[in-house]
Order: sequence, then structure tokens, then C-alpha cells
Amino acid sequence: MTGTPARPAVLGAPPAFAEPLPVGQLRFPDRAAYRALFADLFAREYYTNQGPLAERFEARLAERLGVRHAVCVTNATIGLSMVAEALGLRGRVILPAFTFVASAQSLLWSGLEPVFCEVDPSTHHLDFAALERHLADGAAAVLAVNLWGGTGDPARLVALADRYGVPVYFDSAHAFGCTVDGRPVGGFGRAEVFSFHATKVLGAGEGGCIATDDDELAERLRNIRSSYGVRAPRAVYRTANGRMSEAQAGIGLLSLDALDAAIAHNRALREAYRSGLAGLPGLALVEPNRVETSNHQYLVLEVGAAFGLARDALHAALHAENIVARRYFHPGVHRQPPFSETPADLPQTDALCARVLQLPLGARLDADAAGRVCAAIRRIHDHAAAIRSLLGERQ
Amino acid sequence: MSVAKQRLEDLALLGGTPLFARPRSTSNLVRPDFDAFMRYSETMLAAGQYTNNGPLVRELEQRLAAFHRTRHCVSFCNGFWALVLAMRELALEGRDEVVMPSLTYRRLADVASWAGLVPRFCEVEPDTLALSPRTLAPEVGARTALIVAVHPIVNCCDAPALAAFAAERGLPILFDSVESVYETVGGRKTGGFGNAEVFSLHASKLINGFEGGYLTTDDAELAGRLALARGFGFSGQDNVVMRGTNAKLNEMHAAMALASLDDLEDQVRRNRARYLAYRDGLAALPGLRLLAFDEDERSSYKNIVVETTDAWPLPRDLTIRLLNAEGALARAYYDPPLHLRPAAYPTIAGALPVSSALARRFVSMPCGHHVSVEDIGRIVDLLAFLRAQATPLAARLAA
Repeated sequence: MTGTPARPAVLGAPPAFAEPLPVGQLRFPDRAAYRALFADLFAREYYTNQGPLAERFEARLAERLGVRHAVCVTNATIGLSMVAEALGLRGRVILPAFTFVASAQSLLWSGLEPVFCEVDPSTHHLDFAALERHLADGAAAVLAVNLWGGTGDPARLVALADRYGVPVYFDSAHAFGCTVDGRPVGGFGRAEVFSFHATKVLGAGEGGCIATDDDELAERLRNIRSSYGVRAPRAVYRTANGRMSEAQAGIGLLSLDALDAAIAHNRALREAYRSGLAGLPGLALVEPNRVETSNHQYLVLEVGAAFGLARDALHAALHAENIVARRYFHPGVHRQPPFSETPADLPQTDALCARVLQLPLGARLDADAAGRVCAAIRRIHDHAAAIRSLLGERQ
Repeated sequence: MSVAKQRLEDLALLGGTPLFARPRSTSNLVRPDFDAFMRYSETMLAAGQYTNNGPLVRELEQRLAAFHRTRHCVSFCNGFWALVLAMRELALEGRDEVVMPSLTYRRLADVASWAGLVPRFCEVEPDTLALSPRTLAPEVGARTALIVAVHPIVNCCDAPALAAFAAERGLPILFDSVESVYETVGGRKTGGFGNAEVFSLHASKLINGFEGGYLTTDDAELAGRLALARGFGFSGQDNVVMRGTNAKLNEMHAAMALASLDDLEDQVRRNRARYLAYRDGLAALPGLRLLAFDEDERSSYKNIVVETTDAWPLPRDLTIRLLNAEGALARAYYDPPLHLRPAAYPTIAGALPVSSALARRFVSMPCGHHVSVEDIGRIVDLLAFLRAQATPLAARLAA
């Protein structure tokens, strides 16, 4: 039996893992499948410009998401900018500051003004009372974000915004494969944007898709994306190159085939973490909010005082173990340039940003590795006092 | 493939069988060696890194910087966003106009709009189809934030003269060199002129990376900022320092571009054979003036452009329709020019009569990887047939 170090790596023991263990899903087809895909693609000599793989991928995505249209794009951030363009938005867009910076950056390119709305710390999603106050002030749209394989209750959100005549679209980068109220995430609001970045449960290297039931919106999106893939010409304010290549679509199709197995793997890892962390004070495992089925693609902890170490100290101690935990989202988007130039008072967001931590999940782990991560966290907890004095921090 | 045309009725536009069952287009779609692509892909598969500035992207950037003899190369998800980010970085603060030629890529004004700039269109020189200090001068003024000089698709702008013009006025100049990857100007490779140059890795271009783009520059600070901007402005794991977006090139696309780079010299040789076939074939055909590559410079010889002169007996657009019906997907060269396209966002343009007239005259001919020398022979024969039959054809179509 290999010796389990008694001390954490930050205090000098060898790291728990020989190689860095990342947070992202990092799922990818194996060599044989990759080779077969590209052998076909090279034989067909169709490399991009809405080829047969992109068409098939869009059809299968639309079917899985239960929507009329899935418009595949080069990546989700460009996709978000394209939705803002296709909706013809002008002025202010309400969104959380507790999100990935791309959500807010996507607005700047269309000259839109982000208005940051507080989140509910118990859900991590938009606080409905705060949202209503912003809606009453007027806005062109709400850009809501579905986090961690959960949602912010999209039906309720859309109904609220409807009362003020404000359209809602969703950054659902985290949410592919989730269902709520008996239907897949994908068909809520005016449109939803999914990410197929390598870190997501459905990965294509880089990529994304825009889901909508709105035929006109879909056609404007296709006209913005490129002249290739346009079904009917539409006048748009301006175009952008948002094309997804055949390579990306091909990998996406293979990932879609493997999606249910990936979700099952994530669920099993989550259970391994749950039992491995059981009894540890000060660590709350965040459950995916307001979903029937989740893709479980994030393992989110909230680090409380009872743990004995602040979140940042735990983060540093885990990195010493080659456990590349991440502090999504830290700092809140309102504190990042250029948004930080406009003050926004978001104490709940700030407090949440200070206590969340994501643990590795995905293709690089099995249940045994999850167990070793938990054991490393226990060691860190057991040596909290020594770590605090090493890091020179008052608890 | 059908036999050569004998009678008017053989023309596909009049109901005959098209010359080419598989269309011959102006889109390169060069296919690199599959095993080379798989060897590069092995790096990605072994490392398990599929994007985010991985080893293949870095290798591609190093090779392209070396190829263009510049200190830096930054890759992007496509040339469009490379241009947007570069324009935004280079534009002088407090000014809002970007001067660019009107006779160019139909989306270039959209790029300027995304960069927050107002496109102001200038003429090109009729003999080179390129902008020049002379054509720039009337459009450059106190509101000019940036000059975007686009190389025409055959030969290049006078890059040193343009760079000097910009430098004398304290203006940044960005070269859109999408069609000039392999070219030299005054013996010096494209890539290092002006503040920076942008290229495309789209499958239709010289280097096939599926989709992609890159910028070359000797300006370390510019390269640094663009490398951040394409990745949401992150410097370090959690630290955003500037506005960005996602404009990253992924590892698969980098693998494809690397494999295409390996084949580049051979591809240029094959292109030259195509160009010579056109040149020799069209020499005997009055009325179509082939734009000749400058043999004192290096060139990729990929793009084939002819002018329909006054001695050509058919309208340019009808000629294109006739060719297209035969599966020879010739295209009007940058028609309509940008200043004649409706735009929903602000643009500034004078009458630009030279560009308006030039836009009516030139044709991009089928070219690139999927067009053989034999195909070119058939296209030239078809053009000769059209020329010989122009009068009865015109009468037939008028009826």
C-alpha cells in the first residue's frame, strides 16, 4: 500500500497528485474515433461554411434541446454578442455580476450598458426582488445566467420580465443537458447560448450554439453569422464571423453521443465527493439549483468559517497538491475593468465571490481520484492552524 | 465532365449540359497531408489540451512569425475577429474614422463597426487596384484614427510608401494581408510592414486551418495586448485587465494550419502551373486581360483575376452567369464596392467614381487546389467559344 502523506503539500509533503488535476470536463473522443472522423472529413474535403457535419450537429442539438433552431457558432461569447445584435438591443441590459466575465464583455461589443443585479446567495442566481427594481428602472433586456448545471428558475424570470415588457435571453454555458419544469434548458426566453468549450460537459475544443424557438430571430442569427448557412436573406445591422468549422461540429457530434455517459460519470464523482467530504465542518456542497436533471458538471463548495481556513488559503493549499481548484467567480465582474469604473453595490455578490470554490470534475478523474482530493482536503483541514500561520493569515 | 461546346444550345445557360459536374470555384480548399494532420493532432491528444493557448497554437505562431520574419504572431479564431481586435487596439484615442479602400472585401466595413470606428472609404489606383498615398490623402484628416491598407488579391500595395505616409502623419496603419500570405513587396515578405498585418487561415485561403486568423507584428506591446484580448483580457488565472472576448484559435485548427504550412512550397508550385495555364490560354483571347503577377516579387500565384476590357464582346455580369451555369464559379471582383453597399451603421464616402467603374470590370476566375490545368484549358476554350458566338448569343438571349 502506498503511504498516504500525513501532512498537506503546502507544509512540505509531496503533492497528492503527480500531475495537475484541472476543474474542466476536458472530455474528448479517443484516437480511433478522432482518426475516423477526420479521415471522413478529409475525404469529403468540406472544411467549414456550414457543411454536412454542422447541419447534422444543429439538427441533433435542436432535437436534444427541444427547440426549433440550434445555430452553431465559433464560441459562446461570440454567440452572446450575436444574440444581442439579432435582438437589436440598445441601451441597458440587466445581468448578474456573479458570472464569467464573458457574459458582460459580450454586451460591450454591441455598445450596450451592463446593469449589474444582485444575486440570491442561497441560489447563486438573480435575486428576484433586486431584478424587479432594475426592471422598473427600464432595460432593453435581461441577460440571465444559468450556473453550475442548475438554473435561476427561468420560467419565473421570464414571467417577471414579461410584466415589464423586457425580453430575456440566457447565458446557459453551464447548462447543456439540464432539464427544468419537464423540458430541457434551451427553450426559455428569446434565446439561450450554450458553450462547447473544452471545459464543458459537451465539448468541441471551442464552440457554442444558440437555441431559440423564434424563426425570425434564428434567421437573423444565421445572416449575422455568415452568408453560408443562410436559409433566407435578412437585413441585419452588421455581420460577424461566427462560423463553426466541420472539425468542431464533428467533435461536437461525438461529444453529444457521449453526453449521457459523461453526465452519469459526473454524478458518480459528485457522490464520491459528497461521501468523501461528509462531516467536514465549514464546507457546503452547492446543489444545482432549480433543475430536475443536472449535467453535474461543476462541483461547487462554499467555504465557511468553521472549516478553519479562508477560501483563498484552501485554494492555495489545494494548488500545492496539484489540485487546480478554481475560484469561479472571483472577483465579481463589477470589480473587473472596465466595469469597475462604474461603482456597483453588490454585497451579496462580493460575499459569494469570497467563499466559492470549484473542485476538479470530469474526464481526468475517477472515484478514487475524487476520494484522494477529499483526503487532501481533510489533511488541509487537520493542519489548518499550521497553514494559517504559514500563510500569515488571521482566521 | 462534358465535351467542349459546339453550338449555342450546348451552353448550360441555354439548356445544355454543364461543362463541370463538380463545380470549380475560387475557394482554395487545399488539403494537407492527412498523416501530417494526425501527427500534429497527436500532440493535442497526448496532452489533453484542446484550446487556451496550447502547444500547437504556440508552435503555429512561432512558425508563422519566422515565416513572415516578424518578432510576434498572435493567432485568432478567424481573420474577422483578428481585424476587429487589432483595429480597436491600434486606433488613436479620441478619433473615430478608419480609412480603408472601397474596392475590397464586402465585410470590412462591418469589422470597423465592431471596432467602434466609422469607415471612411478611399479610391484605389486603377492599374494596381490598390490604395496608395495619393488615394489616401483626400480622406485622411483630424478624425483619422487608423488606416487599413488592404492588399488586392493579385500583387500588393506599395507597403513601404503607405507605411511612410502613415508615419509622416503619426497615424497607425494596419495591413489586411489576407490574400498576400506568400507575397513579397520590394523583396521583403509581408508581415512586418506598418504596425501589424492580419492574415486568414480560412479553408478558402492559402493556408487551410479550417477557420482561423493571425496577426504579425514587431510591436511586443501590441502583441501582448492582443494575446490577452482574445482570451477575455485575462492576465493570470483570475485577473482581467482589459476588455476582451473569446477569439481564441483551438488546437485542432492549429494542427490543420501546421499541416497546411508543411505543404506550402509545393502548393505555390502547383498554383504557378495553374497561373501559367491561364496566362498562356488567355494570351490568344482578346478582350480578357489577365492580371499578371509581378515576377520580381514572390507570390502564391493562387488568385486569378481578369479584366473584361472594352474589346470583350459580352457584359461582364453575363459572362459570369454563363460561366457559373457551366459550373465554373467565377465571381465579380468586389462588386458592389463598399461605398455602394447599403449600411445600417455610419459610413463616410464620396462618389469614388474610379472604384465604382473598376467594380464593373474584373472577374475572379476558378482557381486553387481543386482546379486542374486541364480544367483551365476547358475554361479558356469555353471563353473562346463565348467570344466567337457573342453576337448570336446576345441575339438569342434578347429574344
